[in-house]
Amino acid sequence: MIKLTFVQADGTQVETDASPGMSVMQAAVNAGVDAIAAECGGACACGTCHCVLSQDWFGRVAAPEADEVDMLEFVIDPQPTSRLSCQVVVTEDMHGITIRVPASQV
Amino acid sequence: MTTDPAAEIDLAPHSAAFAVNPYATYAAMRALETPYYWEDANTWMLTKIADVEAVALNKTMLRNNDDYISAEDRKAQQRAINFHDMPFHEHYVQVNLLESEGATHDRLRKVVFREFTPAMIARQRDAIQTFVDGLLDELSEQDDIDFVSDFAAHVPGHIIGRVLGVPDEDAPKLRHWSEEVVRYFDPGRGNADKARAEVATKEFYEYLLDLLAIRETAPQDDLLSRLIAHRDAGQLSQDELISTAMLILMAGHGSTIDVLGSGLHSLLRFPDQHQRLRDDPALIKTAVQEMFRFESPLPYFHRFATEDTEVGGMMFPAGTRFGLLYGAANRDPVRFQHPDSFDVGRAPNRHMAFGGGGHFCLGNHLARLDMDVIFSTINARFSSVELAEATPEYKRGLSVRGPKALRIRWQRA
Repeated sequence: MIKLTFVQADGTQVETDASPGMSVMQAAVNAGVDAIAAECGGACACGTCHCVLSQDWFGRVAAPEADEVDMLEFVIDPQPTSRLSCQVVVTEDMHGITIRVPASQV
Repeated sequence: MTTDPAAEIDLAPHSAAFAVNPYATYAAMRALETPYYWEDANTWMLTKIADVEAVALNKTMLRNNDDYISAEDRKAQQRAINFHDMPFHEHYVQVNLLESEGATHDRLRKVVFREFTPAMIARQRDAIQTFVDGLLDELSEQDDIDFVSDFAAHVPGHIIGRVLGVPDEDAPKLRHWSEEVVRYFDPGRGNADKARAEVATKEFYEYLLDLLAIRETAPQDDLLSRLIAHRDAGQLSQDELISTAMLILMAGHGSTIDVLGSGLHSLLRFPDQHQRLRDDPALIKTAVQEMFRFESPLPYFHRFATEDTEVGGMMFPAGTRFGLLYGAANRDPVRFQHPDSFDVGRAPNRHMAFGGGGHFCLGNHLARLDMDVIFSTINARFSSVELAEATPEYKRGLSVRGPKALRIRWQRA
């Protein structure tokens, strides 16, 4: 299992074990990280599963595709290392990653 | 002798009993181990939220299978569902953003998505508040109103019309066209509905042509003017512009009226929850989400399988038609504790009233903002609201859900 840590807006951390192949969004939802709304269910169609990675992790996970980049333009307060968590696939080498979650998606 | 539980189910969406309570039938279908085959529509009905979500997210499941069948088969298919010999409807309603897939869908969705982001929609808050205040000023002199026709029916068309750039005074026409066209998507449609849908589409088309001509010479800060600019930049065709504008007007219209009616009805049926919201107005966001979950205004959409696929424990061949019963999925106890309870504080509330996957409702933020402003304002301005008739009658059919009328009595605070 791969350990992911979500840091919520109030500073609380949620640690969870994820399996390779699932999305970071699914891992967040399963772990009860409610700020990941993911309203479209994971189709890169709503922009409500915004998360922010560290500079280091941003460079290590697979880069976003064009539709995700387009969609990131519309999230609240986008950062240079923002991602849509439904488009980030969990891989073995992500063990120990920390993911920041904004207070709200809308 | 064993009985087949599926055979016990009588799915009769046009019956009075179904309009009163579709949820008992949904629960019986959901209790089956595998999807329910609805012979009348040659459709496999999905009611478990896991199945509905899986199909909505599956990119091989399409609303429209045109690219996978021959032109002849498509004609036969359109004939079989009585979607033929209605040229305006075929051209501007049967083909649009919602009915498209793949690259066309992505291109059109990208053009309009930016208009419906939370930030863009938030710009409408003051206009919605002003309109709602004005309407309530007029109505608050009356103690007894039909909340649907006197209030709800005026709001969404006005607001979405304003987003698009349609003059306020034309909102009633939009509502009429919208209802005539949307009704024809119901599986129980008949030839009379067909003729009305075609007439409405033609009138709507001619109306939009005139309005486009005006905006072409004098662009405004509205969606129609920006769509013209996108068309001129080659991002969408003239036909796509018209079908997109029509879709936005229709999609934002009837369903919001329906959920405004059912949303207030839910508050009035569960006075303890209404009081809870009055005591803590900050619950409005979860309350609105719960209104959408509890009485989802568009409870039914379909998908076609384009490949052999496993769904809900069964294998289905390419070409199978599935019914996604969002209204049933949103009462699935697997995801929602006490699903038949109306809970204004429910969180998380991962319902599917706005659908899922690539066709996820574009206007969801606008619909929720309308509801937020309306119910917050009503609670602030009226000290009591109660039902004037015990059991309001709901619309019949599978595709829509909302009260035909909602007679209420209210008292100003």
